[in-house]
Amino acid sequence: MIFNFSMKTFEFSLNTGRSQARKRLGRFGRLRGGRFYDWIVWAALVSSIWRAAPSSAGLTSDENLAPPATSSFEGSSFDIFDFEGPKMKDLYYVIMRDMDAQLLAMSTGKLDVLSDLYRPADVERLARSGAAELSLASTFHGFFITFNVREFPWDQVTLRQAASQVVDRRRWTRDLFSGYCEPLASFLPPISPYYDPLETAGPPGVGSSNVDLSNAGLSSVEAARKRLADAGWTWDLAGWLVAPDGRPAPLTKILCPPSSVAATTTEIAQLMAEALLSLGVPAEAEPIDFQTMLARVDAHDFDACTNAWTMSRDPDVLYSFYHSSMDVAGGYNLSGISDPELDRVLRDLRYAPDEATARVMASRAQRLLSELSPVIPLYSRYSISATRNDWDGVFTTDRSTSDNMMTLVSMTPKDGKERPIYWNIPEEIRTLNPLVSSTAYDWTVLGTIYDTLISVNPYTFEDMPWLAESWSIEPGDAGSVLTFTLRPGLKWQDGRPLTAEDVAFSLRYIKDNNVPRFYDSVKDVESIEVAEDRRTLRVFMGNTSYWHLHNIGGMLVLPQHILETVSDWRTWQPTNRPHEALDGTVLTELIGTGPFTFRESRTGEYVHMTRNEHYMLLRPQNSKGSKETEETKEARP
Amino acid sequence: MNALIKRVAGSLVVLVVVLVLNFFLFRVMPGDPLTGVMDPRFSPEAKQQLAVQWGLDKPLTEQFLVYIREMLSFRFGLSMMTGIPVWDELKSRVPNTVALLLPALLLSAALGLWLGVKAALKRGSKVERLVLLSGAVSFSFPSFFVQLLLLLCFAYVWPIFPLRGTSSIPPPEGPAALLDYLWHLTLPLFSLVILSFGGWALYIRNMMVKALGEDYVLMARARGLPHRRVVWNHAFRSILPPVLTIFLLSLPGVVSGAVITETVFSLHGAGRFLLEATNSHDYPSAGAAFFLLALLTVFCNLLADLIYVLVDPRVRRESAR
Repeated sequence: MIFNFSMKTFEFSLNTGRSQARKRLGRFGRLRGGRFYDWIVWAALVSSIWRAAPSSAGLTSDENLAPPATSSFEGSSFDIFDFEGPKMKDLYYVIMRDMDAQLLAMSTGKLDVLSDLYRPADVERLARSGAAELSLASTFHGFFITFNVREFPWDQVTLRQAASQVVDRRRWTRDLFSGYCEPLASFLPPISPYYDPLETAGPPGVGSSNVDLSNAGLSSVEAARKRLADAGWTWDLAGWLVAPDGRPAPLTKILCPPSSVAATTTEIAQLMAEALLSLGVPAEAEPIDFQTMLARVDAHDFDACTNAWTMSRDPDVLYSFYHSSMDVAGGYNLSGISDPELDRVLRDLRYAPDEATARVMASRAQRLLSELSPVIPLYSRYSISATRNDWDGVFTTDRSTSDNMMTLVSMTPKDGKERPIYWNIPEEIRTLNPLVSSTAYDWTVLGTIYDTLISVNPYTFEDMPWLAESWSIEPGDAGSVLTFTLRPGLKWQDGRPLTAEDVAFSLRYIKDNNVPRFYDSVKDVESIEVAEDRRTLRVFMGNTSYWHLHNIGGMLVLPQHILETVSDWRTWQPTNRPHEALDGTVLTELIGTGPFTFRESRTGEYVHMTRNEHYMLLRPQNSKGSKETEETKEARP
Repeated sequence: MNALIKRVAGSLVVLVVVLVLNFFLFRVMPGDPLTGVMDPRFSPEAKQQLAVQWGLDKPLTEQFLVYIREMLSFRFGLSMMTGIPVWDELKSRVPNTVALLLPALLLSAALGLWLGVKAALKRGSKVERLVLLSGAVSFSFPSFFVQLLLLLCFAYVWPIFPLRGTSSIPPPEGPAALLDYLWHLTLPLFSLVILSFGGWALYIRNMMVKALGEDYVLMARARGLPHRRVVWNHAFRSILPPVLTIFLLSLPGVVSGAVITETVFSLHGAGRFLLEATNSHDYPSAGAAFFLLALLTVFCNLLADLIYVLVDPRVRRESAR
């Protein structure tokens, strides 16, 4: 495709001296900037690219790969009441699938916000067009090569460490993704608050540092072969690897999706096979249908496979991936790693009573995983989004691209004229039943309707007050006891007051109905108490775990007066059921507390939403310090 | 009459076989609806709850009986992907697909037929060379390329048509809504006609060239019949049965959708639904879609057989005997 974009000159105002990034960004010319958020956007871009950009020296190993420690975050004093909004009355989620069509729409103003840019050419094309400002952030995505450690030869830890040592993440990500991915050498992504660069370093040459000082002067392949030789491995006359007990290494087939489905993944599998060949391990990529691959991995019928995960800020995902109890049908311990010490640490991580213990256990788990190397982390995707540059108020941090809630709340056209926001969704909305929907695109819409008790600070990924103004977690007789206090004066989009009764009802409803999507979050809830002030809620859990705070605090809050009328949550279609607001407006049963209220969905076309006039960040509700207004006082029972 | 009854009975047997295979093939295929749920926050116990929600915890025989009941009653059950009745899903998609693909099929067949006959009649001329070239180009270009090119030209450089969908945002009301709908479908329709007329033109040209060289055409000319009558009543009529067969067997494709076109133009159609239902092992949706397609294919086949009798005297006489 040839696009007739006019080349515009960007102004680049960055006061950092990161030459790598400058080189990289030089391809875009200079960046438009000057204001605070621009600085943040491009600082994010630079800091991320700084970690990902290939060195001009053309490094072929992962030296200097370790990202900077994540101890100095900005914005820990971030306050959502610094924002006021939503500023715009109308929001349209526009369904537009084809990436080229999306770019044309961005250029012509038919779209204002575009998420999930993933093709390097598109990023550069948009940057050159001058129509949009781009933001980039690291994500919780991780791509791995997983070995079946249940069988020879991958049950041998030395071989796994050697294999980990010969991968050239930096070159692979540079060649395959033009640097728009971050080489990953850790089991938690570096963006995770629990990522520990020191513990992830692992044994010499294996972990995130990939620096083996004891083998200085050797290439990574030579060092890996030396590691094997030191452990008693030998090579036959043809150069194939032989185990210390005399067994030759059998052919390793690396399962991957076909190139027609995921070209880069197939290519990575081939590169991995070549890397194994350099060690003398017979290996080849085996592209197969994705569902067949999943079925074979589930049945443990594989040697190695490619797989990718989107993790979360909580490190207890490591339990799901590497605890031996998860090596069951439907479990996620794909490699089948089973180590008593690792199991103990992961169990202590999952059931950590407090944040400090959790942090210690997360570090220990990362150290053990670096030593055991059940999988090889390879890369992590960036999130890249674009916002048309005729909007003000776009909010980004180095951990959050512009397609976020605060942007939605605060964006205003530069010309000051009221107009709708057109926000792209690249796939059809499947369902807007919050108890059933599971795709990220459904939740893009639902996320603007429903709120949670606590949210995540976009600068630090720490907990941040949202519907709850305060909370605590304490040990109880049977398990953790969580106490949440709601902000005063909260209202549903239909004007009715939100109380702790609603929160309690939501939790009980989801638990009593075993709603699969939220099953894990509420399964340990024993009982719930609502205080007389109807703002305080105590949740008694059946066991102790710090993560209960995030599971319960991150649950969506549904209105009791709506949920009571739902006869079957599985077939509930809230958008098809009219519901009258207190002021007489006819809405639907898709009622939350978020910044925009659902109005209409034309299947496959768009979702229309309007500003929630009761939103907590709108004046007069948004009086800093959550002061109650006369109106909100009256609304309270 | 006996022949007709035999054919109808044969079609029913085919439908029963399809109905049974439709159930078991999806279950035999590697993976199941739960295999695709790869989310570390979705524990094996939560997956089990999902199996209960989808009725996958029941014995296979019970699932089969439920499936047969749903298919024969045309209720089809709930989609696993959306939780919405499959019938509602199809109702919202098939009209768009038919509104796009039926005119595209008719127009491309008509254009291809006209050009094919024209080329056959003017052998060796510039007209024939042009038809052959345009037919080959149209037939061989990848659809996404042509469609993106059209979008670039007619929705971006000269913004005559919209970039996406079947309605403006917000949509107009009243009669303007229909015009808006047609305006949105014009570019996808145009692209499909461009992409498929070539196949028709080349096919009809080849058959007409052969028919025009037959003895009965020579005889018709020798009898002094008008040129138009020789071409259409003698040569063209002889190629009509296979042309009609191809046309009728193309009709199920009008319902099954065009995945790439739906993607490029962001259309809400049946093609992507079918693809996603199959990929995600959404048994009720995929089962219903394939069953309906089989039903339509069998019906079109039956219709083709009947029309053969009408347009070909030899078949008519054979059937009568």
